Amino acid sequence: MGIIDKNLSLRDRNKMLLGIWEDEDKLVEATSELVHAGVKIQDVYTPYPVHGLDRIMGVRRSWLSIVAFLCGMTGFSLAFWMIYYMYVQDWPIDVGNKPVRFSPSWVPVLFEATVLCTAFGMAFFFFFRNRMIWGIKPELLDERQTDDRMVIAVETGEGVDEKKVLKIMKDHGAVELREKTGGVQTTI
Amino acid sequence: MIHDSLIRERLVTGGKTASDVTRDIARPILNKPSTSWKVGFTLSVIFLGIFVLSLFWTLWTGIGTWNINKSVMWGWDITNFVFWVGIGHAGTLISAILLLFRQKWRMSINRSAEAMTIFAVICAAMFPVFHMGRVWVGYWALPLPNAFGSLWVNFNSPLLWDVFAISTYFSVSLLFWYIGLIPDIATIRDKVKTKAAQYWYRFFSMGWTGSTRTWARYELISLILAGLSTPLVLSVHTIVSTDFATSVIPGWHTTIFPPYFVAGAIFSGFGMVATLLVVARKVMNYENYITIGHLEAMCKIIMLTGTLVGIAYLTEFFIAQYSGVEYEQYAFLNRASGPYWWAYWSMMFCNLVSPQVFWFKWARTTPWFIFIMSIVVNVGMWFERFVIIVTSLHRDYLPSSWVMYAGSLTEIGLFLGTFGIFFTCFFLFAKFLPVINMSEIKTILRNRE
Repeated sequence: MGIIDKNLSLRDRNKMLLGIWEDEDKLVEATSELVHAGVKIQDVYTPYPVHGLDRIMGVRRSWLSIVAFLCGMTGFSLAFWMIYYMYVQDWPIDVGNKPVRFSPSWVPVLFEATVLCTAFGMAFFFFFRNRMIWGIKPELLDERQTDDRMVIAVETGEGVDEKKVLKIMKDHGAVELREKTGGVQTTI
Repeated sequence: MIHDSLIRERLVTGGKTASDVTRDIARPILNKPSTSWKVGFTLSVIFLGIFVLSLFWTLWTGIGTWNINKSVMWGWDITNFVFWVGIGHAGTLISAILLLFRQKWRMSINRSAEAMTIFAVICAAMFPVFHMGRVWVGYWALPLPNAFGSLWVNFNSPLLWDVFAISTYFSVSLLFWYIGLIPDIATIRDKVKTKAAQYWYRFFSMGWTGSTRTWARYELISLILAGLSTPLVLSVHTIVSTDFATSVIPGWHTTIFPPYFVAGAIFSGFGMVATLLVVARKVMNYENYITIGHLEAMCKIIMLTGTLVGIAYLTEFFIAQYSGVEYEQYAFLNRASGPYWWAYWSMMFCNLVSPQVFWFKWARTTPWFIFIMSIVVNVGMWFERFVIIVTSLHRDYLPSSWVMYAGSLTEIGLFLGTFGIFFTCFFLFAKFLPVINMSEIKTILRNRE
């Protein structure tokens, strides 16, 4: 499994059927109906998070929490090593002849370093996995998909019954149906 | 099947649809700046100028331009530092803690509160940094290999913990804010008309399309970041309080400081959020998004945290008496009846007494009154830090070193100037970025159970 999610790129998808929705409930119904009919949905684009849609589509739970934990452990270890090296190995300070070793006064720095590494490590993973980078051109299917419209994209090819897909979309409240071949969209 | 709630009050009024939300919230960004924006921005820049002048004077002449002295070695500077850091905390509280508690009313106010956090932390950082005097060697506070004949940094010092805490807090808050902004930047990207605007919004939107796969991860990262920010925000003000509490100064050396400071931070932060939003909702026509219900909820938190802070003041007094330590007892009696009695009683009035008006529904639901109260809260919280710092220091163990302290013109200029930094940033934010989180607001339009 590569880090970047290949499903997100639309460049290699030759032909797609697109359904446009304006109602969240109907979109969820349509998605679930398409999945039940055995249609492989390329993606659903929504201007806001629609809860449960990812589960209906069968998107697996992200590895983010595990990555976060690993980054946190790395941050903690690095900070511990840093303090240990500076404070115990390189230049121990004798305060009232007390032993130089781990003390609760290390905790704040350890904690902050852990949080810092967790947050940034996780964020970088999030950006890589989602193919997000500054300046990249967005692959939009509808100019209002970040405003109030929702798009279901289905990749067609061998073994996909286009008529069935279009019928399910139409029956479940799609306000517009389109076909995308190469870079050109035509209304059906 | 999901139903719309018939009982619960709507969080967004006016029967808005998703496209209305985009139109309303993107309006200030897509249109030319309004007159009120121009006036506000100009005023802020004037105050920013005061900051620049005062800072220039401080750097040119030295820290001697401040009235701090050998007894009161922390004065307006650290008062202002704690004041601004405290204000910042409400942003994280609203976006992180209220997210974990699934308080949906936070959605209209979290964006501006988070922005406030970032700008407030910038203002706060100015004070300890320039109090160093030789600010050009400020990087000595970082754990760098020593090439100067000095030792490594001291990991036992709360001042070093502060360096780590504030920088982590700033960067993690900025990250949290930015990730939250990405879907909204994408919405703006698809609306703006000019070439330059299209370029910059596209640049910062990182190719966001609203794919469900991305949204699933986005929701998860928001939750984890909220989970991280919650202990982080508590740790930051706890560490700020240990700057005082780990010392042996009577009046500072108390174990109540961490929870007391955190409550105070939330109190003052909500005060500042109320100041900003009461004005913003009126000027920017956001009354349907930031409703009276939101203001009321904030007033309840102000009342609760104000009372908590008040209990802490009284507890401190009691413990000083109960400890039997002469110096502690004197420090507290001196606060209330010494030469700085006016500061102490201003603090008591503003923070403990005045928020009690929020027991009355009228007070919680009248915007102009809330605005006045929010200013009172901010004044009170500034006095709290002044009282803690100056009254504890100005009379120490040795009567021959007793002094009086008042801020110099430069110190006052720096403080007023930070309001310039804060509001300049805030006005720019209100012009170029959506002040309300559009993608989150769109999820609560239906008032679902």
